[in-house]
Amino acid sequence: MKNFIPSVIGLTVLLWVAIGGAVEAAPAVDEIINRANLAAYYGGDDGRADVVMTITDSQKRTRTKEFVILRKDLKDGGEQNFYVYFKKPSDVRKMVFMVHKHIDRDDDRWMYLAKLDLVKRIAGSDKRTSFVGSNFFYEDVSGRGVEEDLHELVEETAKEYVLKNTPKNPDEVEFASYTVWIDKQTFLPVKAVYFDREGRKYRIVEALETKMIQGFPTVVKSRVQDLLSGGETVSDFNNVKYNLGLKEKIFTERYLRRPPKEVRK
Amino acid sequence: MKGRSLVGFSINNPKTVTAILVLCTLVLASLMVKVKVDTDPENMLNEHEPVRVFHDQMKQEFSLNDYVVLGVVNEQNPDGVFNIETLTRIHELTEFVRDMHNEDDPEKRVVTRNLISPGTVDAIEQAGLGQVRFDWLMKTPPVNNQEVVRIRDLAMNNPLLKGTLVSEDMKAMGIYIPVSQKDFASEVRNRLLEKIEKYDSSKGDKFYITGLPVAEDTFGEEMFVQMAVSAPLAMLAIFLLMLIFFKQIKMIISPMVVAMMSVICTMGLLIGTGNTLHIMSSMIPIFLMPIAVVDSIHILSEFFDSYQRIGDRRKTLEHVMGHLFMPMLYTSLTSAAGFASLALTPIPPVQAFGIFVATGIMLAWLFTIIFIPAYIMMLKEESLAGFGVAKTSSGTMDHKLSKHLKWLGEITYRKAKIILVLTLAAIIVAGYGISQIRVNDNPVKWFHKKHSIRVADRVLNNHFGGTYESYLVLESGVAELDVAGTADWLENELQSMAVEAPGRQVVVKATELLQKEKGATSVDGLLGNLLAAWEQEMDAAADADYDSWGDVVDLLDKARSRTSIFKDPAVLEYVADLQKFLVDSGKVGKSNSIADVVQKVHQELYAGQQEYYRIPDSTGAVAECLISFQNSHKPDDLWHFVTPDYRKANIWIQLRNGDNQDMQAVLDAVEGFMSSNPPPLAITHQWAGLTYLNVVWQDKMVFGMRDAFLSSFVIVFLMMAVLFRSVSWGLLAMVPLSVTIAFIYGVIGFVGKDYDMPVAVLSSLTLGLAVDFAIHFLERSRSTYKKTGSWQAAVGEMFEEPARAITRNVIVVAIGFTPLLAAPLVPYQTVGIFLASIMAISGFATMFILPSLLAVLEPWFFKKIKRQV
Repeated sequence: MKNFIPSVIGLTVLLWVAIGGAVEAAPAVDEIINRANLAAYYGGDDGRADVVMTITDSQKRTRTKEFVILRKDLKDGGEQNFYVYFKKPSDVRKMVFMVHKHIDRDDDRWMYLAKLDLVKRIAGSDKRTSFVGSNFFYEDVSGRGVEEDLHELVEETAKEYVLKNTPKNPDEVEFASYTVWIDKQTFLPVKAVYFDREGRKYRIVEALETKMIQGFPTVVKSRVQDLLSGGETVSDFNNVKYNLGLKEKIFTERYLRRPPKEVRK
Repeated sequence: MKGRSLVGFSINNPKTVTAILVLCTLVLASLMVKVKVDTDPENMLNEHEPVRVFHDQMKQEFSLNDYVVLGVVNEQNPDGVFNIETLTRIHELTEFVRDMHNEDDPEKRVVTRNLISPGTVDAIEQAGLGQVRFDWLMKTPPVNNQEVVRIRDLAMNNPLLKGTLVSEDMKAMGIYIPVSQKDFASEVRNRLLEKIEKYDSSKGDKFYITGLPVAEDTFGEEMFVQMAVSAPLAMLAIFLLMLIFFKQIKMIISPMVVAMMSVICTMGLLIGTGNTLHIMSSMIPIFLMPIAVVDSIHILSEFFDSYQRIGDRRKTLEHVMGHLFMPMLYTSLTSAAGFASLALTPIPPVQAFGIFVATGIMLAWLFTIIFIPAYIMMLKEESLAGFGVAKTSSGTMDHKLSKHLKWLGEITYRKAKIILVLTLAAIIVAGYGISQIRVNDNPVKWFHKKHSIRVADRVLNNHFGGTYESYLVLESGVAELDVAGTADWLENELQSMAVEAPGRQVVVKATELLQKEKGATSVDGLLGNLLAAWEQEMDAAADADYDSWGDVVDLLDKARSRTSIFKDPAVLEYVADLQKFLVDSGKVGKSNSIADVVQKVHQELYAGQQEYYRIPDSTGAVAECLISFQNSHKPDDLWHFVTPDYRKANIWIQLRNGDNQDMQAVLDAVEGFMSSNPPPLAITHQWAGLTYLNVVWQDKMVFGMRDAFLSSFVIVFLMMAVLFRSVSWGLLAMVPLSVTIAFIYGVIGFVGKDYDMPVAVLSSLTLGLAVDFAIHFLERSRSTYKKTGSWQAAVGEMFEEPARAITRNVIVVAIGFTPLLAAPLVPYQTVGIFLASIMAISGFATMFILPSLLAVLEPWFFKKIKRQV
């Protein structure tokens, strides 16, 4: 698989990494991105986390959202499913957001609005819209396709590989390029900085805290900063577990209305 | 008398006096380099004024900006703006302004995030079966008709966009350009104009730029240009007129010098004392100049008339200054008092204006009495040889003037009663006119009708819901509960759940736990303890009970957000009703609120069907609509309409007309609606927005001016009574100015000119100038009467020199300010017309009414003098 970089660490980075042995010489760009992709999005065969998302605007007003995220990989580095179940605030409790991530085509996305008892498909063409009002994008949840950007290794520090990523279809995204710092040890992307067409940086996504959980290096706290609005969103990931043996049927429309017991704890 | 010895000193030491004056002027002139310009009408209100503080708070809280509105109109194309060329230009212009900022001060910029244009707003669209999509309305310019149609339909079907972004007739598209600071607006306009100029106009696209910040900022700019053009032009006109009267350039240079020194020193003092140069204070030179030359003209006029008779400049000066010293002192004091009274208004720039014009008037007086004599003394006696005339030769203008005046004097004596009856009639008619005065203002109307901003204002408000913004801020008035109240509320909620929920035992258990926590010391403590207790139960609960426990735990969140009323369907319905009422009343062009957002999203969630354009039934459903809306590119757009705690909501109201009267009508309509339709939950309301602020400061201005005017009227009367040492003579002196004011404001009422800021300020000018002639006239009447012993004999003399001086003054000042009439800014025209009218009417009032009154009431007024004689 060529040319990938996980656009963001955000939510996704949450999780899950399975790295192989130690790294000796600088690997090829392709290899770095492939391993980063796996580290950021494909830890274990499945996983779950309780997420507390704190959105702070430029006026320092905060609001929080709490949800559970379940993930199951169908193929490492390939298709995978996400199930996001909202717990708080109370008026959106039971709301569900579900993604079937595809590599060769647009993702399938669903939204279940419990109070309206309405299942909506969300058209997947533009994934760089806000995730439930936070500074994270939908794309941050499921990951940006590896083939969508051109990647180049611009720097190698003692601890990180620094890659510059340029979109192949610049009209489809709001950035001109972004730079990602990838940890040499864990291959977790730890920071991504986005630049606009004037070359100004306007968005930073970073891992604030990582931990080894069940042998997987895991981001347990991440942050997005919107430098234009002055707002930011911090996500805390608690009760992270891997390899729960989640069933594939959980990730179907039927389970939108009747959440699986795994959302409990 | 000290003042008179001052005159004596300058007659004896003309060069020293001149040197000192020039030096002072130069020093004060040097202070002017510190000038700080402030063209913001918001500063008409003190920055700590509650409405202004609130306005600023709301702008911050709801991230609101002042908008420059760029309208693109195409009347030629049958599809209006919905064609590839026009939309491409709109795209180009959006890109052009997107990141615009001032090169020297990057803080002055376009607030990119809040830019409203087809390229920067999200459209919610149906994307096939059961799917919705958030996409930019126009990310890139359309390349085919299909795309044009898509953009058109999305825009026209979105109530948030229709009437704001695109006009209902589809002929106009608006780009709303938010500016970080209002004083950047004019630069945005200029740069856009430059860009637009290059467009080929054959396609029918027309571009218009308006919005209050543009009007205000551009006005400020043009005002300073006017100050630099009008004031010197007026100066030139006065110079030429004086040349006609006095014929000697050497002589008439002196009043010009007095006027210049007065203006320079006053502006130097104003700026030197740290005041900003505001719209008001920029008018100081215009106000000061006529007043500054008036005294000099009196001196020159008398000097001109007496010099040939007396034959010696020193003696002539002593004679003239002896006559004029007291009247000049008093006319200056009264004018100064009129302006100083403005210090009583609650409007800072008006206070500064009043104080500094008053200071300038006293400076002008001082310069007049010391510089004019010094100047005349410095001229060689021979050079005065031709100055003035022993007897006016027939055929000259002055000869005609004298002849007419003489005739006039006779009429005032013979037809005194008729004149007085006519005056009374005029006053009654004027009184009716005054009762018709309409208080109204609109900064856009400060521009001439043909000014491009006025034109843009007219065109765009024809097409759109309105380019004038005001904000109605609603706030939850629901009281917070204490611990006991919260516990009771929770208990009630639990009880009502028990009926519907299957988990009866869950409710029983939860209630039991609630009883245990009732003793908590704070609401936070109570809710925190309950959360821990209930969540413990929930975690341990059987799968069958898990849902019920979820509902129970939800109550805690609901208890906390009891005051978050703007998710409540009933409250949103109320907001929607209020908006509908305002638009139906015709007073509001368009309004946007959270209720519109909820309804629109709800509709789109149900496949865009019209019947779903409504508020859903539960708070949870509303919340889901809102969270769906926030899945867009600009989730924070929601916070323009509501605060994240849902305790405050902002209704963005667009008015087609920025007249204060129109805004006032909206204010009244809202009061009316809210009092006859009480909201479902306690709601307080307050206003913000520039259009509203204008109403507030204008109210203050009108009443402040009225109070200032009344108080200075009393002060001037007291001064007159002291000057003439007689209450009745004091009253007499007030007659011409009262008639002048009644007449001028009566006419304003009749012709329907709005009583706006410039008109309000001019009332103090009227007072100060209109009393001058009366002082001169009455002072001379008394001294003449002493000589002649009868009014009939005195009249003849009064209509010689004194009447000529008054007439010359009227003509010089009135005509001298006619260049103002050509100014493109309405307030300048108003000042020009006012000055001319004040001079003319008060001159006539003095020369007709006063002698008539004296003729009729001669025995009474001249009782004392007669005894002395």
